[in-house]
Amino acid sequence: MDLFHNLYNGFAVALTFQNIMYCSFGVFFGQIIGVLPGIGAPTAIALLLPLTFSIDPTSAIIMFAGIYYGVAYGGTITSVLINVPGESSTVMTCLDGYQMALQGRAGAALSVAAIGSWIAGTASVVLLMAFAPALAKFALRFGPAEFFALTMMAFGLLTVFGEENPFKVIISTMLGLLLSTIGLDVVSGMPRFAFGVPQLLGGFDFIVIICGMFGVTEVFNSIENPEDEGEVLKGKLRLRDMFLTWEDWVASRWAIFRGSVIGFFVGMIPAGGITTASFIAYLAEKRYSKHPERFGKGAIEGVAAPESANNAASISGFAPLLALGIPGSATTAVMLAGFMMWGIRPGPLLFMQHANLVWGLIASMYVGNFLLLLMNIFMIPVFVAMLRVPYSIMMGFIVVFATVGAFSVNNNLFDVWMMLGFALMAYAMIKLKYPLVPLILALVLGKLSENSLRQALMLSGGSMSIFFTHPISAFFMGMAFLAYLTPVLRWYLKRRQVKAAQA
Amino acid sequence: MAVLALGMAVILFSRQLPYHSDYGPGPGFLPMWIGVVLVICSLIVTVQELRAENKGESFFQPRTRMAVKVLVVIAIAFLLFPLLGFSVGFGLFICATMRLMGGHRWVTCGVAAIVTAVGIHYLFGHWLDIPLPTGLVGW
Repeated sequence: MDLFHNLYNGFAVALTFQNIMYCSFGVFFGQIIGVLPGIGAPTAIALLLPLTFSIDPTSAIIMFAGIYYGVAYGGTITSVLINVPGESSTVMTCLDGYQMALQGRAGAALSVAAIGSWIAGTASVVLLMAFAPALAKFALRFGPAEFFALTMMAFGLLTVFGEENPFKVIISTMLGLLLSTIGLDVVSGMPRFAFGVPQLLGGFDFIVIICGMFGVTEVFNSIENPEDEGEVLKGKLRLRDMFLTWEDWVASRWAIFRGSVIGFFVGMIPAGGITTASFIAYLAEKRYSKHPERFGKGAIEGVAAPESANNAASISGFAPLLALGIPGSATTAVMLAGFMMWGIRPGPLLFMQHANLVWGLIASMYVGNFLLLLMNIFMIPVFVAMLRVPYSIMMGFIVVFATVGAFSVNNNLFDVWMMLGFALMAYAMIKLKYPLVPLILALVLGKLSENSLRQALMLSGGSMSIFFTHPISAFFMGMAFLAYLTPVLRWYLKRRQVKAAQA
Repeated sequence: MAVLALGMAVILFSRQLPYHSDYGPGPGFLPMWIGVVLVICSLIVTVQELRAENKGESFFQPRTRMAVKVLVVIAIAFLLFPLLGFSVGFGLFICATMRLMGGHRWVTCGVAAIVTAVGIHYLFGHWLDIPLPTGLVGW
């Protein structure tokens, strides 16, 4: 079997001493990041990216993946113990998790989250193994028209899933695209938007922008809106408290199963992401439940479902990233920037050209998820202690890492100032309620999107019909149009409602 | 809030101008469309903001001052890099932010500064081989 052969090779890569170390470091670090409010997975990966210039890309991506799904575990701890979600993906866990903690069942909540996450994570890796190569094979048939349509669909879906004003989402996307056009035009070699500044000719490096927007901006933002420092619940967590009763198992087994499936598929949709997955899973669980009134009052299913979903989604998000080269979230977008930095182009060919990397990564996910299961049962107190690190110290180091990161790209101070500039821009955007994720996605995908658009138009001799006559491309374009229409429609319906209410 | 959105619309307008004139249909094609979409969306958002009854949170919040202070410290640190280099510059930076934000004692800040400077020098400069700017201090 091809699959088992590949997986065997993958484990050979993942189980080298070096890669086990990187994987453990990644999941451990991810867990810490998850516990700490005010710093998230994209920030952590953006800050570490420049430091991976010299290490093997396979090890680096194993570490980053570890951070990504480690964060999905870590955020749970603060959600349950102090009712402050460490990450947006664990917001739903607060509802029932904190209630369980108040009833003295914090151990059970954490434990079901860890076990659910582990089952969901592992199941998701299995599905990923089945889906991703098939997706890549399918994508081999994609031409420029399909790729352009695909990026359009990804941008369109952002407006559907975003909480923000859809027009602001579009503006943010456009700003990202605009930033990606700065520098020498690849097709004609003409400088664009360089304004005679030589440093701008090469375009902005992703790292500079990402370090600014996710690192330094996060610092400003956290200073302005300090998280409520909730009290950690009294009472020690003993290992004995972590065990689940038989009723707990019965109550949560289907929640874990449904959470995994929902998480896997939502995670694959571009712009779906782990937060959306946990929301949908929680709501679905509430609807399926025979006792919906128990939700919000400490129902164990209410912890199991979103926690399983966010983990499954964090892993399935790798399917579009690896097979199509299209990231679905801020974190995977930062990882795509990393791939580009290492000179690897994710996409349909990745599975052939870098089979070791892909299968090593997939195999490492089994290892990482298992390590996280152990950590989350035996090392909870260590992570709770992390919460005592004052932000005044942490923020200084975030700035240091961001600055060194921006500097190390080209070894010049101009980039450092640019980074600060982008940080201020992103800070203003957050204050005006413009989302940053579309900007980052558009920035990373901008070149692909523009080049495929222009190649497609060259092939068709300038006729737009190429996007609609090819069936796959037409499907993506149709999805994109639908996606862009939903917010407009929603806005229109809302206005009609308001008018009807006034009349 | 509304004024700011309007300000942004104006900026976007002015940025939009060169798209049409400077470039041929090739490299200018996408930027032109970006410009058009930006203008349309910013107009819609501006109208929305103007008509909204609830003005939302104001741009400046009580703790914005603190953020600005930290920004100033960062800018000063960046300006000092050519002179002091990364290690010493960041040492002082950590010291300043800890004092400003956390109100730690001077001794604590001082120790943190030295640890940071040495740490950066070895972690980034030696272990990761990044040619950090050393400034006049030469370290």
